[in-house]
Amino acid sequence: MKTKIVKFVKSLYQNIHDYFKQPKTKLVWKRKSSDIMLKIIRTILLFGLCFVILFPTIQQISMALRAPEDVNNPAVIWIPETWSLMNIKISMVVLDYWRALLNTFKLSFISMSLQIISTALAGYAFSRLRFKGSNILFLGVMITIITPPQALSLAQYLYFRDIGLIGKEISIYLMSGLGMGIRSGIFIYIFRQFFRGLPKELEESAQLDGASVFRTFWNIMLPNARGALVTVGLFAFVWQWNDAYYVAIFDVSTEMFPLLTMQLINAAEGMYQALFYTGGLELIGQNVWENPLFLALISNVSALLMMLPLLIMYLFVQKQFVESIERTGIVG
Amino acid sequence: MAELEQKTIRPHKGKSLTGYKRQKMIWAIIFLAPWIIGFLMFFMIPFIRSLYFSFYTLEPTPDGIISTYNGFQNYVYAFNQHVTSNSSFRVELINTTLDALINIPVLLIFSLFIAVMLNMKFKGRALVRAIFFIPVILNSAAVSTALGGGDAIAQLLEEQGIGQIFNLEFYLIQTGMMPWLISFIVGLIDRIYTILSLAGVPILLFLASIQTVPKHLYEAAKIEGATGYETFWLITLPNVSPHIITVTVFALVDTFLTSSVSRIISDELGNSNRWGESAAMAWIYVSTIILILLLLVVIAKVFKIGGSHYED
Repeated sequence: MKTKIVKFVKSLYQNIHDYFKQPKTKLVWKRKSSDIMLKIIRTILLFGLCFVILFPTIQQISMALRAPEDVNNPAVIWIPETWSLMNIKISMVVLDYWRALLNTFKLSFISMSLQIISTALAGYAFSRLRFKGSNILFLGVMITIITPPQALSLAQYLYFRDIGLIGKEISIYLMSGLGMGIRSGIFIYIFRQFFRGLPKELEESAQLDGASVFRTFWNIMLPNARGALVTVGLFAFVWQWNDAYYVAIFDVSTEMFPLLTMQLINAAEGMYQALFYTGGLELIGQNVWENPLFLALISNVSALLMMLPLLIMYLFVQKQFVESIERTGIVG
Repeated sequence: MAELEQKTIRPHKGKSLTGYKRQKMIWAIIFLAPWIIGFLMFFMIPFIRSLYFSFYTLEPTPDGIISTYNGFQNYVYAFNQHVTSNSSFRVELINTTLDALINIPVLLIFSLFIAVMLNMKFKGRALVRAIFFIPVILNSAAVSTALGGGDAIAQLLEEQGIGQIFNLEFYLIQTGMMPWLISFIVGLIDRIYTILSLAGVPILLFLASIQTVPKHLYEAAKIEGATGYETFWLITLPNVSPHIITVTVFALVDTFLTSSVSRIISDELGNSNRWGESAAMAWIYVSTIILILLLLVVIAKVFKIGGSHYED
C-alpha cells in the first residue's frame, strides 16, 4: 500500500516535472506569467492615474454639497454632515451664473462653428488642393502655431481699437472666422493631416464622375472627416470656454455681457468684495464669512460651476470623441 | 497615371485635366481666402507692429501713442533691469527654458507610455480613455486662479496651518528616508496632476498615430513570436517617431504658454508705460522658442528621429 502511494506520488512528480521540462510549455508559462504581471501593473497604474485625475473634481463636488457652517468641521472630509445647496447658491450669485453661462455658451458655440469652417477649408486646401507656393503659406501656419499670443496682443489690441471692435464679442468671432482664433494653427494642421490620410481614389472617382472640386469636398471628403470634425470641434469649444486671455484683451466680458471665466477670475481675486457687492453675504451669517476657509470654498465651488457644463457635455460627446481617435488617426 | 486614365476614358475632352487643375487652383484660393485675410490682417500686421514697438519707448496720450526710438534699450532692460516682487524676467526665462528641456522628454516618454497602454485591449478601456482626456477639458487659467483662491487666502491658510490634511513630506521625513529622495517623491506627486494635464493632447496625438500603424505588422510579429516588449521597440516606436516632432512642438509651445514668463509679459502689458519693454520681452520669448526648436530639429536630424523608414 505504502509503496503504491509513494509510486503514485513519484510518477505524478515525474509527470509534472516532465511537463515543465518541455521547452514549449516553459515558453508558454513564461509568456502567461508575464502577461499576468503586465495586466496587474497596467490595472494599478491606470486606476491610480484615473484616481488622481478625478480626485479634485470629486473633492469639489463634496465641498459644494456641504453646509457653509461645516467648512472647518474636522469630522467632514468626504460626506457632508449637513447636506445643503447653500454654497452653490452663493456661488451662483457671485458669478451671475445663468446669464454668464448663456453668454459663454453662445460665444463658445459660434466661435467653434466659425473655427471649424475656416480651419477645415484651409486644411483641405493645404492637403488636397496644392499649388505652387502652398508650402510657403503652410510655413505661415507653423509660425502662427509657435508665436505666443502675448507677442501680438498689444498690437492686436491697438488694431482692434482703431476699428472700434474692443468690448464687442464680434472681435472674437472675426478672429475665429478668419482662422486666427485660439490655436487655429493646430486645427489647420490636424485637418491637413487628416484629409491627407483619406484615400486618393475617393477624389479621383468623384472627379471622373464629373463632380466639381467643391462637391467633392462637401459630399465626399467632409462626411468622411467626421472624426477630425468632432476632435477639432471639441477642442475649439473647450478652449474658447476656458479662454481668459483673448477675452481679457478684447474686453469682451462686460456688465452687459458677463462671461464665466472673467467672472470667476474677478471673484477669485477678491472673493470678499465679490460677495459683498453681489449680495452673497446676506445669505449667510458673519461668523461664516469671516472664515478665510469659507472664501476658498466659494472659489472652489465657483470653479466647479464653471466646469460642470463642460463635463456634462463631454459625457455626451465622449463616446464619439474616443471613437474618432480610433477610426481616423488624426496624425495621418 | 491618373493623367493617362483620364485621357483614355474621355479622349474628346483632352483639356479636361488642365480644366480640372485650374478649377482646383481657383477653389484652393477660395478655401484659403479667409485664412489668408486673417493671416495678413490679424497676424502679420500685429506681428510687424510689435517688432517695431520693441525698439521704441511708447507713451500713450489722449491724442494717440507717442513713440520714440531707443534702439535695443528695451531688450537690455528686459534682460538686466527688470524685476518683480520675487523674481525677474531673466531668471524666469532661464528657469522655464531649463524646465522645458527637462520636462519635455519626461512628458514625451510618459505620454507615449500611457498611449501604448490605452491602446491595449482590456475591460473598461473606453471609460479609462474618457477619464484621461478630462484634464484637457479642465485645464484652464481661470480655474487655476480660483483654486489658488487668490494669494491672500492662500497666505492666510498657511499662517493658520490649516488646509493641509495630510502632509506627505512630514510623514516621509519621519520614516528616515534620504532628503533628496523625499523632495523628489514629493515633487513628483505634486507634479502628477500638472504632467497629466499637459499630457492630455500628447497622449491623444500619440494614440492617434499608433492607430495608423498598419495592423499586419503586429500580426506578423505575433506569428513570429515577438513579445510585447519587442513589438514596442521594433514596430510601435519607429512608426510613431515621425510624430514625435509634432508632439514636441506642441508640448514646447504649451509649456511656455503656461509658464511664468508669459505671465510676466502679460503683467507688463497691463502697465501702459512699459509697452515697449513688454514687446521686447515677447520677442525674446519667441526667439527662445525658435532657438529651442532649431536645436531639436538639428538633434532629430543627427539621430535620424522623425524620418519614416517606410518612405525611403
